[in-house]
Amino acid sequence: MLLQNGLVVGLFMFLIGIALFAVGLYFYKKKQLIADTPTSKIRSIAMGLVEIFGQVIPIKERLFKSPFTDKECVYYQFTIEEYRSSGKNSHWVTIKKGEQRCLFYLKDDTGMVLIDPTGAKIEARRDFEYQSSLGKDPPEQVIRFLAANNLAHEGFLGLNKTMRYRETIIVPDENLYIMGTAGENPLKIEATENHVDSIMIQKGKYEKQYYISDKSEKQILKNLAILTYGMWGFGIALIIVGAILFFGLI
Amino acid sequence: MELWGIIFLIIGLLFFTLSIALLLIYNGLVRLKNNIKKSWANIDVLLKQRSDELPNLIASVKGYMEHERATLEALTKARTDVLQATTLSKKAASDMLITESLKTIFAVAENYPNLKANENFLKLQNRITALENELADRREFYNDSVNIYNIRIHSLPDMIVARMMKCIDEQLFKASDEDKAVVRVKM
Repeated sequence: MLLQNGLVVGLFMFLIGIALFAVGLYFYKKKQLIADTPTSKIRSIAMGLVEIFGQVIPIKERLFKSPFTDKECVYYQFTIEEYRSSGKNSHWVTIKKGEQRCLFYLKDDTGMVLIDPTGAKIEARRDFEYQSSLGKDPPEQVIRFLAANNLAHEGFLGLNKTMRYRETIIVPDENLYIMGTAGENPLKIEATENHVDSIMIQKGKYEKQYYISDKSEKQILKNLAILTYGMWGFGIALIIVGAILFFGLI
Repeated sequence: MELWGIIFLIIGLLFFTLSIALLLIYNGLVRLKNNIKKSWANIDVLLKQRSDELPNLIASVKGYMEHERATLEALTKARTDVLQATTLSKKAASDMLITESLKTIFAVAENYPNLKANENFLKLQNRITALENELADRREFYNDSVNIYNIRIHSLPDMIVARMMKCIDEQLFKASDEDKAVVRVKM
């Protein structure tokens, strides 16, 4: 039985190690792609995969309000979690999550271009996090949002449940890094009205990368390097230990 | 586990890691080479577009700028050179000559009120200025791509794979002193 457990644990560790190594490879490729692509000036963007950096200029009629902070934004993502306990186990359960994104322009010192964030992986700093619990009500805006979505922060006998509210937003004038595909703008009427040429940054048909971040390129590369080498180190360690356990016990 | 088993395992892991590393470096270098080709093609398109506009510009200013004949001739010659240049340095030198000549023409145009009022000239001036700005950005982009590649093929561990692939330094879009001297004579 002990022998069998050792084999299973060894094999499990070996496979997890391989998976972590593969994830590390994914981060490495992403890191190299970002590092190897020079930043384009917006006025001279060429068709294909591009990297640009600039400031968010909203299309006013498309702006919407964020659910918890009530700020005008071009992107929000939120989660509502509840802390649940059963016996010795307790964990956070997501009871609602959602996001919204809209077209916006990105402007640098040479010009501006239309961005369609559909299909982009967006990484932005968390702008709001609040935990309500017994004797600690959520903010007014959160209560309104919960009521509008038929959710309650109160449980048995009207006592507050332990709940966590998180929100990430991208607001006008925020600086963004974008790696995406410059292609033809299918919304030419809109672009012409706003004095922008016929290019739009979007998810490419062939290019898998579409990435938007509120961090600088240097910070993104640093984070990806940590993830890559962390995954590889941990993955290789697990592969070695897993293989020793597996083969050592045969 | 026997000692030979551990040694075999370590060698196997090293071999696996090394193969993956070589593959990643190889793919990375191929991508960088293609980036350079693509960014060069993007410059070339604009060089051609600008060259297409130059005869129209020359035709529209010829009647007004009799005293700038030498500049106009240099511009015509440089236009032919940039399209026929066989080396990057010669192309860059001719490109530089065009940019200098255009600056002179647009500066001198200030002294000719009739020319400045000419709608066709104004349109051409705006179009060529926009192309010049885009060209400046794309030259910078091309040089950035070349710089990234040149650094990579001289850094370890990429240098090992680069040598196996017989990679050599790519040229920046910059005129050599020799070609610059030829341009100065033309001007």
